[in-house]
Amino acid sequence: MSLVELENVTKTYEDHVAVHALRGVTLALQPGSFAAVAGPSGSGKTTLLNVVGALDRPDAGRVSIGGVDLTATPPDLLADFRLRHIGFVFQAYNLLPVLTAIENLEFIPALQGEPKEQRIRRAEELLEAVGLAEIRDKRPNELSGGQQQRVAVLRAILTEPEVVLADEPTANLDSTNASLLLDMMEKLNREKKITFIFSTHDPLVMERARRLIRLRDGMVVSDENREGRGAEVKP
Amino acid sequence: MLFFNMAWRNVWRNRRRSLLTVMAISLGLGFNIFMRAIGDGFHEQMVDNSVRSHIGHLVVHRAGYHDDPGINKTLPDPAEVEQAIQSLPDLRAYSLRVLGDGLASTAENSAGVAIVGIDPAKERKVTTIHRGIVKGQYLREGEVRPILIGDRLAVNLKADVGDKVVLLVQAADGSMGANLFRVAGIFRSGAPELDRGMAFILRKDAQELFSLQNRETEAVVLLNSSLGVPAAQQALESKLSGEHVEVLTWYQVEPFLLQFIQLDDAFFYIIVIIFFVVISIGILNTIMMSVFERVREFGVMMALGTKPRQIVKMVVEEAFVLALVGAVIGSAIGISASLYFATEGMNLSAWAEGAAALGMTTTVVYTKLTAANVVISNLAVLAVVVLVGLYPALHASRLRPVEAIRHV
Repeated sequence: MSLVELENVTKTYEDHVAVHALRGVTLALQPGSFAAVAGPSGSGKTTLLNVVGALDRPDAGRVSIGGVDLTATPPDLLADFRLRHIGFVFQAYNLLPVLTAIENLEFIPALQGEPKEQRIRRAEELLEAVGLAEIRDKRPNELSGGQQQRVAVLRAILTEPEVVLADEPTANLDSTNASLLLDMMEKLNREKKITFIFSTHDPLVMERARRLIRLRDGMVVSDENREGRGAEVKP
Repeated sequence: MLFFNMAWRNVWRNRRRSLLTVMAISLGLGFNIFMRAIGDGFHEQMVDNSVRSHIGHLVVHRAGYHDDPGINKTLPDPAEVEQAIQSLPDLRAYSLRVLGDGLASTAENSAGVAIVGIDPAKERKVTTIHRGIVKGQYLREGEVRPILIGDRLAVNLKADVGDKVVLLVQAADGSMGANLFRVAGIFRSGAPELDRGMAFILRKDAQELFSLQNRETEAVVLLNSSLGVPAAQQALESKLSGEHVEVLTWYQVEPFLLQFIQLDDAFFYIIVIIFFVVISIGILNTIMMSVFERVREFGVMMALGTKPRQIVKMVVEEAFVLALVGAVIGSAIGISASLYFATEGMNLSAWAEGAAALGMTTTVVYTKLTAANVVISNLAVLAVVVLVGLYPALHASRLRPVEAIRHV
């Protein structure tokens, strides 16, 4: 059974002119996917991640995660759904600047109501596991871009959501840091079976993704499954 | 706790702006506490001056005396009245008096006066006339018809200590009463109407002058605290319910004084409201700026699953932090200033004439700091700041995460 399903999803932004961000996109991703959504600027990558992440609603079509139809879920319940089922990594790191690295990691479990001692222990273990223990009490402005983005990924996966959505996660990183970040995400994907979906136009990410979905003008133009499971493009 | 920690740190991200806001809150609150303490001190002194000059906290008359005074309206049973007064738990002192009107004459001049017949020993525990003797001495039992007159009356009558003064009155039986008195002392209370128009004589001399035969027209009661006035009034009314008497408080006897205090309070509250509005605009500006600077952060928080009400809570807590720090500093300022002037006093001699017209017999005002002043002022500041914080908080909570994340 698919974890993430999009059926004929359409999204149009009305500005001075109508921009068709997604046009009838249909996709299905299995649990444990490590997928990249690639395409030029304006192809609909970010919009696709936004509708999958319950941050935006499609104009038409259906989006579901783990069998929950997000398009039919009332808006006030979507925040709770995101909290418990989806992790986010943003292009510009977007750690909360007043919190230290460990407090940023604690943020989501704290919202979920996890006891303080337990969430701190788990956050410390995770930082230790990826070799970032020494930055535990540093605030984002004291961290390098690579360190910030790795903390952002750890924040996204600490509570082990079903799916992590990463919007151009390597866009602001040099190739060394981008590679380190991808190593970490691959490891987490492999070990914790967390599904990762990236939007990217970084060749390094496209190369390392086990599934590569290409968008152009809001439509899927190719879907390459490198794990031999076959293409999942539905007409 | 997580959101309160974030709120605390968010407040100090822009230290200078927050400190300016805290300073505005502190000064506003400190000013508010201090001004209220001045007002409370001023009002208390005014009341105390009036109460201690002649009216006391409570006055007991025969029923109907206050609206239509007359020398023949004496207390029906003074012994019963005394007994009821003595049973008051908050009693400090009391005095029975004869109060009537008459004409005071010397060889040089004459003037209409209010004649008060007193028991000097008891009266000095109730009123402060004895402290205002500027010439001669206070009334003493055993002397032959001594009289105490105000300094302005002395000038009008061209009378000095030892001079003769004739009092001419209409007695209770309708006859004319007249007697010769000798000026024992001249007093200055500071209240022009007393110094110009009041004369004190011994109670027994007054009873003789007005043909009252051991009867009194009023009993004046002084309590330990003016806070106990309503309860004491109720207690006396209850004990004397069958006695055909009226029990009046100082503010019923001198409603003008109470009205002045209420008017003064009203002006004070208008100033406080203006102050709060000005402070609120400053705080609103600070929090709005802070919210606009963090749109992307709010977007990220909401994307991660923070609920709108949690965003509201955090922003309101930021306002609360500003208010709390401002309240602590402002209270320290207000309390320190109030305590300092409570012992040192504020010299208002430049406005002595005006103060005298309001019944003030002193030109030094002592502030009075009350717990209610500090608590209410602090609660008002906290409530106003939190209310002001609600608007930017609601604005932040209504952001759409998908748009807020892209905000530059």
